[in-house]
Amino acid sequence: MEYVTALFNVALLASAIRVTMPILLASLGAVYTERSGVVNIGLEGIMIMGTFFGAVGNYVVDNQFPALAQAWPDVAPFAGVVAAIAVGVLFGLLHGLMTITFRVDQIISGVALNLLAGGLVRFLNILLFEKATQSPGVRGFTSLDIPFLKNIPALAPLVTGVSPMIVVGLLCVVLSQWVLIRTRFGLRLRAVGEYPLAADTLGVSVQRLRYAGVMLSGAFAGMAGAYLAIEQAHLYFEGMTQGRGFIALAAMIFGNWWPLGAMGASALFGYFDALSLRVVRLPIPYQFISVLPQIVTILVLAGFVRRAQMPAADGVPYTKEEE
Amino acid sequence: MKGRLLALQIATPLLAILFGMLIASVIILVIGRNPLDVYGVMVRFSLTRTDSLFSILFKATPLMFAGLAVAISFKAGLFNIGVEGQYYVGAFCAALVGFSLKGLPMVVHLPLALLAAMVGAMAWALVPILLKLRRGAHEVITTIMMNYIASALLLYLINDVFRDPAQVGTPRVRTPDVALSARIPSLGPLLARVGLHGSDVEKVNLLLVGGILLGVVLTYFLSRTRFGYEVRAVSFSPLAAEAAGIPNARTRFEMFMLSAAIAGLAGLNDILGFFGYLDIDFPKGLGFLGISVALLAKNNPLGVILAALLFGFLDRGAAGVQFFAQVPKETIVILQAIIILAIVVAYELLTRYVRTQRKREAELVAPVAVPAGAGP
Repeated sequence: MEYVTALFNVALLASAIRVTMPILLASLGAVYTERSGVVNIGLEGIMIMGTFFGAVGNYVVDNQFPALAQAWPDVAPFAGVVAAIAVGVLFGLLHGLMTITFRVDQIISGVALNLLAGGLVRFLNILLFEKATQSPGVRGFTSLDIPFLKNIPALAPLVTGVSPMIVVGLLCVVLSQWVLIRTRFGLRLRAVGEYPLAADTLGVSVQRLRYAGVMLSGAFAGMAGAYLAIEQAHLYFEGMTQGRGFIALAAMIFGNWWPLGAMGASALFGYFDALSLRVVRLPIPYQFISVLPQIVTILVLAGFVRRAQMPAADGVPYTKEEE
Repeated sequence: MKGRLLALQIATPLLAILFGMLIASVIILVIGRNPLDVYGVMVRFSLTRTDSLFSILFKATPLMFAGLAVAISFKAGLFNIGVEGQYYVGAFCAALVGFSLKGLPMVVHLPLALLAAMVGAMAWALVPILLKLRRGAHEVITTIMMNYIASALLLYLINDVFRDPAQVGTPRVRTPDVALSARIPSLGPLLARVGLHGSDVEKVNLLLVGGILLGVVLTYFLSRTRFGYEVRAVSFSPLAAEAAGIPNARTRFEMFMLSAAIAGLAGLNDILGFFGYLDIDFPKGLGFLGISVALLAKNNPLGVILAALLFGFLDRGAAGVQFFAQVPKETIVILQAIIILAIVVAYELLTRYVRTQRKREAELVAPVAVPAGAGP
């Protein structure tokens, strides 16, 4: 019984939602890129760039424009998010250039992006903050209380002090689901991921849509990183993503390449992540608790939970001309 | 065509390195230094001092093993991103055999420690490869997850189970000392005879020779044996190979295990060759450097040896420019990453160029009757 209350309570749930967000945002990005037919294993690296630029954008505005930051305290964190998204899009573009234009193996390009991100943030951190591994502390967004629900004491941890990024993130999920199912862009994106030749024949530019897919994935992965740095840790430090970019890929697979599915899967990972952050008195050494999300990832990928259906042309480069 | 192809194949990595240096030059210019000076310092510091040369060899040794491990998996069409975790486990198993067994002669103890490293790493690689072959779980993500789990496992084993009792009360978290009979012999005494001395000279050990030999053996094994042929068949055309009676799954499994066994040895240059114990802060990241090395070498085992030496040189050069030119050594990490990005694009373009050339030549040799209305 003691374990049961330790494993299921409102505070843990609230913390689970918070730690779900970075995985969810990155997996949303993964949905866009893989729906267009490009595997982006560089999401982890893009997320790392996002954590760094999220912290830097925030820090710079806070310190360079104190009057502005004083008047509108949310401007600095907002600048961080914008910077992170911008650099994410840039990295997405680079992945697109490598894989769509030059048709380099998508896994290899992703691995190379991760290597580049690791070196780049260390270098930039030294330039800006004179040490390799950590930025100064930054402020987060002003938190929200959910109207009406905030008056119910039992739900207090869930509905008070909510980050606006959580609200925006959840809206993005619903919007993305709608975009993919209902809009022309979504249909075309899915078409180039399923059967690029058919889409091409109908005059849809496979290249352009795939570029859109990878750039969107970069934007979301960058935002995921920004959330980690700005809302969760309130600073950037080396290794803070802990492989969440890869876990997000697993969440997307488990979510069957749909935004709502990815949200469900991310919540599962978030739950185990929250559990691993908590000192739950279990008869298992803490080192193993700390890798629960990684263990669950392996189980999910092995299909012990559910078999998945991937886009038919996912990971297959498209060649227009016969060579 | 053949001579030109070889020239192109050699020129491609060189061009990529040049391109990487060009981009790195821009970065160096941005931070207000002269790139020519920085590269000058790098070359002078790394290549004109005995201690630097041997430091390069010491740094290159584990990269040879890590690079060969990654290359072997790539050859079979698999991505072993788990070399990182596999060498953690291998290093621990070797250290365990090294400090727990006592009184064995070196001819028994050292091979036993090496074997333990290989078996431990193979056992760790068993999970991702079985899940890949049986359940279709993508090995890239599972091996990466296994890396995190290996890291947690080692933390637990070193900190909670096998911590050296003599170190309790100090901040050092490490295993007891490995018996001398399980340490890898240094090449120092041999080199001293030809007049080479110094701490960096003594760091270089037998694994350097082992790594180079392994590269040679693997080259022969992959290009001249039946198994090597089967591996090529499986990675080029799985269906054709299967039809010819070459079992895809088994060939892939064996190559992945071979990759893991080699990965297991990657950590030993430091653990059994230098430190003589496994500290919680043992050198990490060799697996990821191994990926770079294998990509640069296009999975050619002999190329891996050269690429490992280049990375050893870059590492030493990075220390040099940090100290003498006040340029952060991370500049060199960026240089490495850009070289890798450039090289994969360059190899891809080269492959495409060669394909169109071959096609053109084939058309010249045997003009095929084209039906009217077909073709462009």
